[in-house]
Amino acid sequence: MTTPALEISGLAKSFGALRAVADVSFTVAPSSVTALIGPNGAGKTTLFNLITNLDSAAAGEVRFLGRPLTGMKPDAIAALGLIRTFQTARVFPGMTARENVLAGAHLAMRSGGWQQMLWLGAARREERMLARRADDLIDLVGLSAFRQAPATDLPMGAQKLIEVVRALMARPKMLLLDEPAAGLNDRETAELAALLRGIRDIGITIMVIEHNMSLVMSLADEVVVLDAGSVIARGPPGTVRADRRVIEAYVGADA
Amino acid sequence: MLNAVQIIIGGLLQGSAFAIVALGFSLVFRVTGVVNLSQGAFCILGAMAMYFLQVDFGLPLIVAAAGSAVIGLAFGFVCGAAIFVPALSRLPMSAMLMVTAGLLTFMEGLILVIWGNQSYALPPFSREAPVLIGALRVPSQGFWIAGISAAIVLGLWWLIYRTGFGVALRACAQNPLAARLMGIDLNRITLVSFALAAAIAAIGGVAIAPLTTLQFDSGRFLTVYGFIAATIGGLGGMAGSITGGLALGVAEQVAAGYLSSLFANALALLILLAMLLWRPRGLFASRREARADVPTQRRVQRAVVRIEGGGAWGFIVALVILLAALPFLVPTGLMASLTIAMILYIAVLGLDVLMGYAGQISLGQAGFMAIGGYAAAILATSYGWPPLAGVLAGMALSLIAALILALVTMSLRGDYLALATLAFGLLIDSLTVGLVDITGGPSGLVGIPAFSIGPWAFATPRSMYYLALTLAAILAAALYGGMRSGFGRALQAIRADPTAAAALGINVSRLKVAAFAIAAMLASLAGSLYAFNFHFLSPDMVDTPHSFETVAMLVLGGEGTLVGGLFGTFLLTLLPTVFQPFALYKTMVEGGLLIAIFMYLPEGMLGRIAVLLSPRHARREVGSHDDARA
Ligand SMILES: Nc1ncnc2c1ncn2[C@@H]1O[C@H](COP(=O)(O)OP(=O)(O)O)[C@@H](O)[C@H]1O
Ligand SMILES: [Mg+2]
Repeated sequence: MTTPALEISGLAKSFGALRAVADVSFTVAPSSVTALIGPNGAGKTTLFNLITNLDSAAAGEVRFLGRPLTGMKPDAIAALGLIRTFQTARVFPGMTARENVLAGAHLAMRSGGWQQMLWLGAARREERMLARRADDLIDLVGLSAFRQAPATDLPMGAQKLIEVVRALMARPKMLLLDEPAAGLNDRETAELAALLRGIRDIGITIMVIEHNMSLVMSLADEVVVLDAGSVIARGPPGTVRADRRVIEAYVGADA
Repeated sequence: MLNAVQIIIGGLLQGSAFAIVALGFSLVFRVTGVVNLSQGAFCILGAMAMYFLQVDFGLPLIVAAAGSAVIGLAFGFVCGAAIFVPALSRLPMSAMLMVTAGLLTFMEGLILVIWGNQSYALPPFSREAPVLIGALRVPSQGFWIAGISAAIVLGLWWLIYRTGFGVALRACAQNPLAARLMGIDLNRITLVSFALAAAIAAIGGVAIAPLTTLQFDSGRFLTVYGFIAATIGGLGGMAGSITGGLALGVAEQVAAGYLSSLFANALALLILLAMLLWRPRGLFASRREARADVPTQRRVQRAVVRIEGGGAWGFIVALVILLAALPFLVPTGLMASLTIAMILYIAVLGLDVLMGYAGQISLGQAGFMAIGGYAAAILATSYGWPPLAGVLAGMALSLIAALILALVTMSLRGDYLALATLAFGLLIDSLTVGLVDITGGPSGLVGIPAFSIGPWAFATPRSMYYLALTLAAILAAALYGGMRSGFGRALQAIRADPTAAAALGINVSRLKVAAFAIAAMLASLAGSLYAFNFHFLSPDMVDTPHSFETVAMLVLGGEGTLVGGLFGTFLLTLLPTVFQPFALYKTMVEGGLLIAIFMYLPEGMLGRIAVLLSPRHARREVGSHDDARA
């Protein structure tokens, strides 16, 4: 059996009396799309924070491609190829959309500050190559018109797309996407779905937090349902949709 | 044993001065979250006002003291209403720190204009001989200081815990938003606290003036010591401020008594660094646990304007030609100033990488200039090193110093870095003055040779100008290469949002250290060139006011543009030469400019020029800073 892309075992975190994540364990297969769903406040974002060590877990362990992430700094985890986006789009203010996307290439860059300062040919070539790739990706998500616009001037949905594309520039092995479709209209959502399928097809594992059920059903290989910090159901989309507890959780909390 | 007790008593006296400054710090910090660097200047204002009223004017002690307090209060109100409160509502925290730095500089300049640069000592409040307790001698002023400190503490305590104003103040400190929703006028509370802190500082200045001599620029020491005291006490609390102040005073006097006064300054710095290490987040940590993935801090936008596209290249070419022709265009009397400006620009250039791109503030650029200057000068004069080797050695030394300082402070928030660099600069100041055997002390080092590379000597201001211009051009081109590529983008990403930057694999602290090292090495280079240019180096050529000056030059010219600093540097260097009478007002104007630019011209001179030259090509950006007040 191949090593799972992500292996979460016994992860827990409380804020005061609130158990935001309680003893969560599951694995994510390589080159698959896992959807993480659950009502608001279920602990989905907190789970992402724990995986990327933005918050420290009270208990449990996360392994990425077999490697424990305990105690690693967020940037070191990113350097392993595990890149996340944020629920509230966090584009860099003061930079254009293209500069934002280019900033994502930090890990992929081979020329360092010194080479750039010496205006070495290799560094400049790489810079041009990255700029082309950034423009390409921006075009791919239909934002060509915004390339030179300050990123914070973009509509919320566009900012979220920029964030996804920025994450891609890092050439990740796995992406953690926190509600990437929030703020997108139906057409944009469909485009996003196509993009995510494409990303999966080139071998990048995806775990995505998503509320849009039709998106989840059409995209996910595996669905994990979180409620009140615990995994209440897990499996292929069809099975999970039929699960009584999932319906209850959703009807009880969201509808 | 007796001696020890005597020293401790001296320390307690000294410490109550620190405690009083710390109290003012805490008051303003509690309400606004701002570290008000101008606090110490109000002490000096109070002491000087006291001198004027009591000695020049002949008023009785009590009347003069009350008058000084009123002057401090009134000036505090004016500064608060005109500067502090308006700035607070529209500027990010890091800019607020600089505004108060501007206020500190402005007040130093004002005091310099009014009272000159001589030292003042006030007569003790009462003329009794020191009180003898057993065999111990306690100066009568000590009792006055103790009494005044106690009165201030009691008064503050009453105000904060027993009045309606205090209730409002505490509400603002706890949750500004909730306080506003409750109908509390946040601005009024801020203004009153600021003015009150100013009055407290003025009274403190009056009380300690008889024990020591003070001059126009002693305030910054009181600011730093007051801040250290407040830090020890866990900034914000009254009891903590007092304990912190007294502890610092005793530690300092003990160090001075048993080791040397030189070491006492170093000790204060070490205490600060230890505090920062020990509870790095204790000081500015918010009381609520923040969500790690959501930027809870209010983002305040700060404009960066750059010239874009083809226009940029035309502008640069024209600028270089102009700079190369400048020595032939200006009267020979200005040549020396041109050279100085060009040398200083190198230091400002380094600062721009740190401040304009990485968004970190350094108030210690002059400290690195001193390291570079003295290293090169000493190696050349005492050891016969070739100038170039001395310059490189200075840069290596600065790099080491910067790395050590950075390792300690880099994980800290911007304000800490700024304060740690300020403390570092002051430490270097006291070393350049104090290590007489090595640096020649206050009278400086003479006989420094001209800069030379092999057979080429740069003995005239004009040749030095071209040397500096060439170096500056090369460095600016190199930095431009880095800043427009991945390196610059990563620095800007860190400035904009460190958490999101880290999520992309950007090693935030390593890049900050790199920016800090670049700033330090360029400052060091400038310092070395300075020494070779003047053939002479004294501590006041590279002391802390020059750190503030480089910051003023940068923001005046325009941050985050690399060339912008050039305009600020030339303007602030040439103005006093062109208008000789301006020289006296230089410090004051620099302080005023610093405040005004932060408040009214955030894009700086280059930004203005860019917009004027071609409104379509100028790209207006907004950089953001974190604001802990939200
Ligand atoms: N830093 C924090 N401090 C206190 N409570 C938090 C913090 N972060 C998250 N929570 C709480 O934990 C719960 C789970 O939050 P979250 O992970 O954001 O849910 P989801 O992303 O599933 O909507 C919520 O009740 C939220 O209020
Ligand atoms: Mg969430």
